Amino acid sequence: MLFLAEGIVGQKMTVGESQEPLLRMVGITKRFPGVVANDHVDLELYQGEVLALLGENGAGKSTLMNVLNGLYRADEGSIYVRGERVGIRSPRDAYELGIGMVHQNFMLVETMTVAENVVLGLRDLSFRLDLGGVKRRLQELGEQYGLKVDPDAYIWQLSVGEQQRVEILKLLYRDVDVLILDEPTAVLTPQEVDDLVEVLRRVIGDGKAAVFITHKLREVMKFADRVTVLRDGKNVATRLTRETSPDALARLMVGREVLFRVEKTACEPGDAVLEVDSLRALDDKGLPALRGVSLTVRAGEIVGIAGVAGNGQRELAEVITGLRQAMGGEVYVSQERMTNCRPLRAIRSGVAHIPEDRIGMGLVGDMSVAENLALKAYRDSAFSRGPVLHPEGMRRFAEELIDGFAIVTPRAETRVKFLSGGNLQKTILARELTACEGLLVAVHPTRGLDVGATEAVRAQLLEERDRGTAVLLISEDLDELLEVADRIAVMFEGQIVGTRKTDDAGRDEIGLMMAGDGMEKEGMAT
Amino acid sequence: MRIVFEKRERVSHTVRVLVPVISLVFALVFGAVLLLFSGVSPGAAYAAMARGAFGSSRALAETFVKAIPLMLTGLAVAVAFRMLFWNIGAEGQLAMGGLTAAGVALFASEGLPSWSVLPITILAGTLAGALWAAIPAALRAYLGVNEVITTLMMNYVAILLVSHMYHGPWRDPAGYGFPGTARLPETAWLPRLYGRAHLGLFFAVVAAVVLWFVLQRTKWGFELRIVGENPEAARYIGIDIPRLMLVAMLVSGGLAGLAGVCEVTGVMRRLQQGLTVGHGYTAIIVAWLAQLNPWAVLLVGFLLAGLLVGGDQIQMAMGLPAAVGLVLQGALLFPMLGGALFTEYRLRIVRTATEDFRTPEETGLEEAGS
Amino acid sequence: MSRRLWGSVGFLVVLALMVGACAPPATPEPTEPPVEEEIAEEDLPVRAAFVYISPPGDLGWTYEHDRGRLMLEDELGDLVETAYMEDVDEGPDAARVIRQYAQEGWDVIFTTSFGYMEDTYEVAEEFPDVVFEHCSGYMTRENMSTYFGRIYQPRYLSGLVAGAMTEENLIGYVAAFPIPEVIRGINAFTLGVRSVNPEAEVRVVWTNTWYDPVVEREAAEALLDQGADIIAQHQDTTEPQKAAEERGMLSIGYNSDMRQFVGDSVLTSPQWNWGTYYVDTVQDIIDGTWRTSQFWGDLESGVVMLAEMSPLVPDELRQQVETERERILNTDWDVFCGPIADQDGDEAVADGVCLSDEEMLNMDWFVEGVIGEPG
Repeated sequence: MLFLAEGIVGQKMTVGESQEPLLRMVGITKRFPGVVANDHVDLELYQGEVLALLGENGAGKSTLMNVLNGLYRADEGSIYVRGERVGIRSPRDAYELGIGMVHQNFMLVETMTVAENVVLGLRDLSFRLDLGGVKRRLQELGEQYGLKVDPDAYIWQLSVGEQQRVEILKLLYRDVDVLILDEPTAVLTPQEVDDLVEVLRRVIGDGKAAVFITHKLREVMKFADRVTVLRDGKNVATRLTRETSPDALARLMVGREVLFRVEKTACEPGDAVLEVDSLRALDDKGLPALRGVSLTVRAGEIVGIAGVAGNGQRELAEVITGLRQAMGGEVYVSQERMTNCRPLRAIRSGVAHIPEDRIGMGLVGDMSVAENLALKAYRDSAFSRGPVLHPEGMRRFAEELIDGFAIVTPRAETRVKFLSGGNLQKTILARELTACEGLLVAVHPTRGLDVGATEAVRAQLLEERDRGTAVLLISEDLDELLEVADRIAVMFEGQIVGTRKTDDAGRDEIGLMMAGDGMEKEGMAT
Repeated sequence: MRIVFEKRERVSHTVRVLVPVISLVFALVFGAVLLLFSGVSPGAAYAAMARGAFGSSRALAETFVKAIPLMLTGLAVAVAFRMLFWNIGAEGQLAMGGLTAAGVALFASEGLPSWSVLPITILAGTLAGALWAAIPAALRAYLGVNEVITTLMMNYVAILLVSHMYHGPWRDPAGYGFPGTARLPETAWLPRLYGRAHLGLFFAVVAAVVLWFVLQRTKWGFELRIVGENPEAARYIGIDIPRLMLVAMLVSGGLAGLAGVCEVTGVMRRLQQGLTVGHGYTAIIVAWLAQLNPWAVLLVGFLLAGLLVGGDQIQMAMGLPAAVGLVLQGALLFPMLGGALFTEYRLRIVRTATEDFRTPEETGLEEAGS
Repeated sequence: MSRRLWGSVGFLVVLALMVGACAPPATPEPTEPPVEEEIAEEDLPVRAAFVYISPPGDLGWTYEHDRGRLMLEDELGDLVETAYMEDVDEGPDAARVIRQYAQEGWDVIFTTSFGYMEDTYEVAEEFPDVVFEHCSGYMTRENMSTYFGRIYQPRYLSGLVAGAMTEENLIGYVAAFPIPEVIRGINAFTLGVRSVNPEAEVRVVWTNTWYDPVVEREAAEALLDQGADIIAQHQDTTEPQKAAEERGMLSIGYNSDMRQFVGDSVLTSPQWNWGTYYVDTVQDIIDGTWRTSQFWGDLESGVVMLAEMSPLVPDELRQQVETERERILNTDWDVFCGPIADQDGDEAVADGVCLSDEEMLNMDWFVEGVIGEPG
């Protein structure tokens, strides 16, 4: 495998710059209200290579690929496929030029089978649908590229990793030459990531090419032959992976020196603050999401919940904070029974919650930064005289927090939706940490943040721990958990399948547990 | 070239003022075209409308008479809409307010000290509107029943109940069997300020002031705004949304009920045909145009009343059929409503990549990095 | 469109005074006798405004008023200027429109729906120099009169036609609201039916609406289903007549001459004819002889009439109707003169006794031969 990859890259290099690129994007500019998402961006893709498109959130990676895929139309710039100038107005145009994209959120119809999903939207279908032929072709493709999926399986029966394979099969069935994958690893276990690398190698070995969008350096080094780095919507550099290093790429991506290690002292756990016992709950569709989760978080420790998205993590956080009804089991916070309490009761007992969905739940976009900072504290007497709010007190409070948490905002009165992702999260963090007395539930606190903001958030979590707070950290970034958490519990299909001390935890072992292997059903050790 | 419709990043004060003004100009031009087609001079028609609505103190008084129920129901709808409760039921709440006011004044005022009859009547009517609104509010808050349907359906119930009462049990025995109650006792009459313009105007203004203060400066208003802007966030920060919804709808229904009280005690002074003529529905337009701002509700209510009152003049002075007046009113409202969209959105003309051919050389393409 | 006139009249001054007691303290009655003085030349033409409950359209209640207005224009020419406002809701809107006319210097304002009564009265108080004429109500002032017509008389005559021509001895009656005006019409009609055909019965269906084509049709269909072969009505559309025609049945119209719109299956229609009253009223104003009054016009006045009969009506029946018409016109006899039995067969009006206007205006019982509840 390694040989093959090297071989392709080597071949390309020997053919040299004279080889006609399969795809060229030149001077692409795309503006959104108030933002230039792509500012004269160039990109080249050669046959037989995997190109990583690296950049922080908001650097313009997805925008650029959506332009290529016909979802957006560029304000300026042009696209060449095999040397020919093309206009791409829709994903359909893109297909016809041999370009296809696997989006972060899969575009599959859950109640249809794999084969049906593959033919969905095909233009040149004959009147009589020959599903048998489709299935045969899918089987062939599966064998050719190592993408084994049962064509008769319904989408809802498949795991997330399998669904991604269906998406890729869809593109191969349409015979595309350029595969675009938007953050393909976010939903995968480490083992599934390895499988994906394998598939991509086979695909490009077949004369195709792939672009994948990511902000994870580790993946760039693992996947790509070349990497193009974007920052603030502009080209920063294009490098051969073997001629660069993660540190160098990080510098290019962030624009400055980056620390990868947060200082972390040994943990000194105190009394149990959060005790969860045999918790059961349903998800939004009414299907069991938690099937008897037990776990304890002590004062002064961070317990990380690892797991592939959709295995009950979100529901766990919601039940603890009173946002979701438990169907069974108990929740205690500081020895007080909190099972199915109202959210307000949880807040009053000092439970802070950094929600997964910042703009959707954590903030009110059209209200000011100051008001958002006061979303929980406005009930205090410092902010009101009886029922009447005290705007001066609210503003002073806001200014203190803006200073203390280094929130970058023009004014305290600015509508919060105009802040950047990192500052949105800082606003939530400022509010929650101020309100926190005892327990902090943090769900994906660094998702989508740039490296700098990520560092800051992690440091703050550790600081909070050192202050004696019990922290439940839910994250799908295994690196983050390994770095920050004191213990890691792995969730799979609504159960905790294992718990490890971070120091003893092996990356691979946790990865296997995330995939449901080696189920050692245990009540969470305390 | 291509025209795109996109959301504005921020809405400046200039835009807030300019958009309605331009919409108005556009509306007038649109209306003028219609009038020309009807063979009438637009200038003369508009002048007649303005005169009919604002031209004299009497005309002004009539405009206020029309404006008062629009203002009160407009405020009622605005409160509910603020927290995304789609109260289509202001009409029914108004009807229940009027019905109760008439009932109290006619049948329960005997023996009461005369000074207390009017306050009790007003209070009872307001309360009735509030309770009528509380039913769909509770259904939505605790059982998740869609309020658009329930409030709408309850309008029919209320309107038919009112009709039944003055056709049947409450019919004036001295009225030759005609539908309609007897006149309310004078102690229950809402004092008139000028012409027929009555004290309801004062209620509307006070209600707007109080509402503005409550929404802007109290915890309760703060919570209402949060629910309106982002219900998920409201839940997350521990707001008891069902209770808040119930309270908001009590206020909303109370205001609509008060509108009914004012119509019955201030204008009609008996219960008969003509209480429910659609104010509760027009209120939705008022609230929408006012962008749920209490001050703007007063202003829009007044202007809309002027448009409706002045519209009579199209018939009266120009000799056109009633339909033309209605069409004109619609023609004037339409751009105003459409224009409101442009406070949040804008049109932009962009050049597209595919039509903008440039050679790679011109763009200065070069391999970045190594 | 559930609104419509509420017809009937307070005819007796005594009664009007009784009602006046419930009204706000009336301005003192004028003490000096009114001076008869012809209107000054420069004040001509007399400006007459009309307030309508619905658009005039092609037929119906408002159409008949508008026909009267046009006749007024024809007859008086330059002496009069008219205007009208259509589709005016009862309630606060009506008050505004009436006031606007008064304010703009119109000399006489005709308001043509019962629901305008209060508002007309109120504006009349405010504008003592303007003459107000309200159709179908009972409140009067020194500058406000009421006018209406004894439509029960042509209804009785139409009953003769229906009674003679029914074969099933069942006649359907689509009726708006159970109020005295409508009940009186049903009774008069039934008396007419039974006078020529004691076997026949009149079945009533209440629609609780003055104007609703769909509901009216449904009511008529229901009556036809029950075996009625003639449909009479007190509504404002031709739908009941059309329903009958489509089934090959006969009908009696109302308001306008519905035969012209539906066909010869409409045997005849009790019809309004306001023109003469409007001409007389405005002429009185010109002459300075206008006085407050409560006008309840009969067949003789021409305000009410029986529309021309269908060719289907045989000659001897026409003769019979004509004889009855003469009897109303030329003798003291009226429709509600005894003996009349009520629905239970008990004596309601004794032989030789005639109901007073007051009794007619408050009528809330059915005569013998009506099937249905009076309310």
